[in-house]
Amino acid sequence: MNHVRRFLATPEGMAGGLLLLGFLLVALSAPFFFPRDPLSIAGPALLRPFQDWSLPLGTDRLGRDVLAGIFHGARTSLAVSLAAASASIAVGAIVGTLAGFAGGAVDEVLMRVTDAFQTVPGFLLALAFVSVVGPSLGVVVAAIALSAWTGPARIARAEVLSIRERDYVASARVAGMHPLEIAFREILPNALPPVLALASVIVAQAILVEAALSFLGLGDPNRVTWGGMIAEGRAVLRSAPFLSIIPGIALVLTVLGVYLAGEGAVEASAARRSLA
Amino acid sequence: MKRALLLLRRRLIGSIPVLLIVIVGTFLLLEAAPGDAVDAYVVSTGGDAGMIEALRQRWGLDQSPMTRLATYLWALLHFDLGHSVTFSRPILDVILERLPNTLLLMGSATALSFGLGSALGIVAGAKPGSFRDRFLSIGSLALYAVPGFWLGLVLTVVFSVQLRWFPISGIETIASGKTGLDRALDIGRHLVLPVAALGFIYLALYLRMMRAGMAEAWRQDFVLAAKARGIARPRIVLRHVARNALLPLVTMLGLQSAQMLGGSVVIETVFSVPGLGRLAQEAVASRDTPLLLGIILVSAVLVILINLIVDILYAFLDPRVGASEAAA
Amino acid sequence: MQDFRISRRGVLAGSALLLASTALPRIAAAQEPKQGGRLIVAADSEPRNLNPAIVASNGVFFVASKVVEPLAEASFDGQDGLEPRLATAWEGSADGLSVTFKLREGVTWHDGKPFTSADVAFSALQVWKPLQNLGRIVFKDLEAVDMPDAHTAVFKFAKPTPFQLIRNALPALTSVVPKHIYEAGDIAENPANNAPVGTGPFKFAEHKPGEYYRLEKNTAYWGEKLPHLDEIVYRVLPDRAAAAGALEAEEIHLAAFSAVPLADLERISKVEGIEVVSKGYEALTYQLVVEINHRRKELADLKVRQAIAHAIDKDFVVKTIFLGYATPATGIVPVNDKQFYTSDVPQYAFDVAKANTLLDEAGYPRADNGSRFALKLLPAPYFNETKQFGDYLRQALAAIGINAELVNNDSAAHQKAVYTDHAFDLAVGPPVFRGDPAISTTILVQSGVPDGVPFSNQGGYKNDELDGIIAKAAETLDADARTALYVDFQKKVAEDLPLINVAEWGFITVARTSVKNVSNNPRWAVSNWADTWIET
Repeated sequence: MNHVRRFLATPEGMAGGLLLLGFLLVALSAPFFFPRDPLSIAGPALLRPFQDWSLPLGTDRLGRDVLAGIFHGARTSLAVSLAAASASIAVGAIVGTLAGFAGGAVDEVLMRVTDAFQTVPGFLLALAFVSVVGPSLGVVVAAIALSAWTGPARIARAEVLSIRERDYVASARVAGMHPLEIAFREILPNALPPVLALASVIVAQAILVEAALSFLGLGDPNRVTWGGMIAEGRAVLRSAPFLSIIPGIALVLTVLGVYLAGEGAVEASAARRSLA
Repeated sequence: MKRALLLLRRRLIGSIPVLLIVIVGTFLLLEAAPGDAVDAYVVSTGGDAGMIEALRQRWGLDQSPMTRLATYLWALLHFDLGHSVTFSRPILDVILERLPNTLLLMGSATALSFGLGSALGIVAGAKPGSFRDRFLSIGSLALYAVPGFWLGLVLTVVFSVQLRWFPISGIETIASGKTGLDRALDIGRHLVLPVAALGFIYLALYLRMMRAGMAEAWRQDFVLAAKARGIARPRIVLRHVARNALLPLVTMLGLQSAQMLGGSVVIETVFSVPGLGRLAQEAVASRDTPLLLGIILVSAVLVILINLIVDILYAFLDPRVGASEAAA
Repeated sequence: MQDFRISRRGVLAGSALLLASTALPRIAAAQEPKQGGRLIVAADSEPRNLNPAIVASNGVFFVASKVVEPLAEASFDGQDGLEPRLATAWEGSADGLSVTFKLREGVTWHDGKPFTSADVAFSALQVWKPLQNLGRIVFKDLEAVDMPDAHTAVFKFAKPTPFQLIRNALPALTSVVPKHIYEAGDIAENPANNAPVGTGPFKFAEHKPGEYYRLEKNTAYWGEKLPHLDEIVYRVLPDRAAAAGALEAEEIHLAAFSAVPLADLERISKVEGIEVVSKGYEALTYQLVVEINHRRKELADLKVRQAIAHAIDKDFVVKTIFLGYATPATGIVPVNDKQFYTSDVPQYAFDVAKANTLLDEAGYPRADNGSRFALKLLPAPYFNETKQFGDYLRQALAAIGINAELVNNDSAAHQKAVYTDHAFDLAVGPPVFRGDPAISTTILVQSGVPDGVPFSNQGGYKNDELDGIIAKAAETLDADARTALYVDFQKKVAEDLPLINVAEWGFITVARTSVKNVSNNPRWAVSNWADTWIET
């Protein structure tokens, strides 16, 4: 509770928390306010915002409700970013822990693979992967995770290296626990906090990468995403700018919220440490 | 200098396994792709079964994947990147033609985000918690949250179409016949918007890192001591605080290079800059495996080189590091 | 994203659409043409092979047609819709076994060598027949080309070949390349494929990959006082949003092939100094088609296909997706074709209730969740409009209880999935009508097409009656009898719905008003632009 209060006491934490709260509310309430398929045609095409109160934010090229798109797009963004972040952190944490704990040849091989992934520009990798496998939501998540797991892996490994000689690990070893068991039961939970600190960056990047892939025509056509909406509105950027500006603002606010919240969390924990 | 060359050689040899993983991985990825170079080609031409078969044979796509991989690696051993079927030219030529544009774009954007970012970081970090500090750090974060293509599109509409201050796209005026300084200025004018779009996004990274480093430095003993000695604040900011915060930024430069190459894919598309990022995208679309491999290889070597330069720079700024690495 | 750009125009070649009347006014050149100047146009892709004799596609023609000329070009008011180019006259024999071409005299290649019948014979026998994507069909029975003199070429066919077909094929299929450059070595590897040499009004000057192509005036061109322009530069703009901005910023003069998105036309037409031209694509009609995989049990049922046809609101598609720049289709031959088209075929009006009834009758009742069955729908990625129609079709199918999942592939993957692996239930395709059903259209329903052939019947459809009509038309020499066969063909296709034709469209050119003589023939964008000029 204290932690939350400290988090909210930082201006970043306050602003970020509010933005994220709004984002979550929008994402979770989408099916209640807009039970219809957000991709269905709801009215005349290219209706401007604030003209018709049943379609407050207007409609797109095919007459789909922009507001419904924003709500359901928030759900997709939430799903994509959480899935991509958890996948990349899970993979990274496992690889990093294994490498750090096993050492020797295993460490060498795993770290070379990590190097290889870090050498290839992440977005290029995601682009090639999605072009090859075909754009669907799951593939987009996998592509983002593919280019984002190396960060957590390196941090996890470094943490493991620094704590593996500590007392409780040594005592577990004496107690005859299997090395792998030690790794996952004792070390992983301890190495997790710094890895999680990376989470906000990965979540934000996931939203941006999804948008950029959609911009290049590699989005899932069965789901509404903000990136897809921006890409769709790009052709009419000049004559109907609201179509790319509205989802653009939603996207920027959300990503900003995630960054600020991450920042707030770091400051809050720094404050706690300096108090302790 | 000798030390640097030694380091270079050691790094390049050390990175061979990494490059091998990258090549085989990329090859297998494209091999798994639905459709090959011939499929991508006949989409734009049409054609009958006989023509399609003849093309597969001509382009060597009738051989097994393993044979092709082996052939590719064997040629690579002789520093031959192969021949692009989409461009009907040697791959090295195709890449070298685009590389300078990408380097120019990335280099300028990095300079912009590093220079402006660290400068603004100093301004923000000089007085942690002030309005100025909050404004700059949140403002830059907002820029960091903007999708690159979106920023690019908005910049072109405002500055090229409406104000007509800068050309809308391309790397230089086409077939202008300009040379020397004229040409350099022309290229510079074309680069302003794409560099701004790419550079402004990464500005936040350096700004915030600088600021964080300075916040840390303010608490350090020697800064407190300097303060106690009554040294003027601007002097403390520059000589003691900022200088100490600069080192991690240099490391960041290296880490960011691969990221920026990825970001330039989108920016090169929006601004029609004939660079490596766009080429890579074309290679994927046309299933030109050797071309994509060549690009990834060149960009990987580039990333390794940049990191090396960064390390040398680091060693220059902090002599202890270089000595230990060279000794190892 | 790049991929659909590569093939947007490239999809298939255009050809002479025969406009019988001369009612269409020429865009009058009231002023005296200005000589000189550089015309800059937008190009959204860079074809890998610039030899139009090998690759007869619009992407190649867009650049190469200014350099390499065909025997004849499409025309609004010429006889049979043609205008002479390298041939001045052509005549078919009554037995369908030979066609005689009188060739233009005093023409030289860009390297100064004279153009003769040997070049035509070489192009026909060594390039069009064995190597060209379309020539392989039309010239498959070409046996020899006799050369009684340097300016007469007589094509000899082994089997009777309809002269009507040859004539319709002239603009797109007969680009003549120089024998002296191609005769040594492998034709497909000849460097001139990337730097073409022809007889056209412009010489190929340079290509900077990723940036531009540049063509220069051919001062020795056979046309009197032609060409007007000094240079044509094709500026590569891979991003579709870029062309409109570049036109407004006066960095380019002209964007053809709907490079400016349809949705932006209304706005840009109001910008001073810019005009929107929808003429000039009459012989390049693209068709929006729902391809059907007949291997799928449900889709093999005619009632289901009829239900899908009734579920599509063609007027909505034309109005909303094409913003009026298209025509609702009535059948497999486009409405604007004056030679073969018939409107006397079964029609499927937009009627959701009827569609639902048909599906109930077919034995596919709605389940509790309202869905009858699920389908995979693959819209071709080449055009914005095919993708948008895919989005629309998914909704239209949902209204009749068919749950369609969209699959978004890039060009290569789409080509493989639909035309080689048949891994689709419904696909959205944009085939081209090339002025004669034999070159383009029949292959969409004909059975026995090998796997992997793009824009062909890969849905496993087989109808012996239709196959019979197609075979008979291929050897019917009399133009009227041949046309009658194709009229019958259209009716049978509309009855049995092997595929569903939704709309037909041509492209839009957006140009600065300073560019003159724009769109003055039915395949203007891919013609030679000798009389185009620019006001300075």
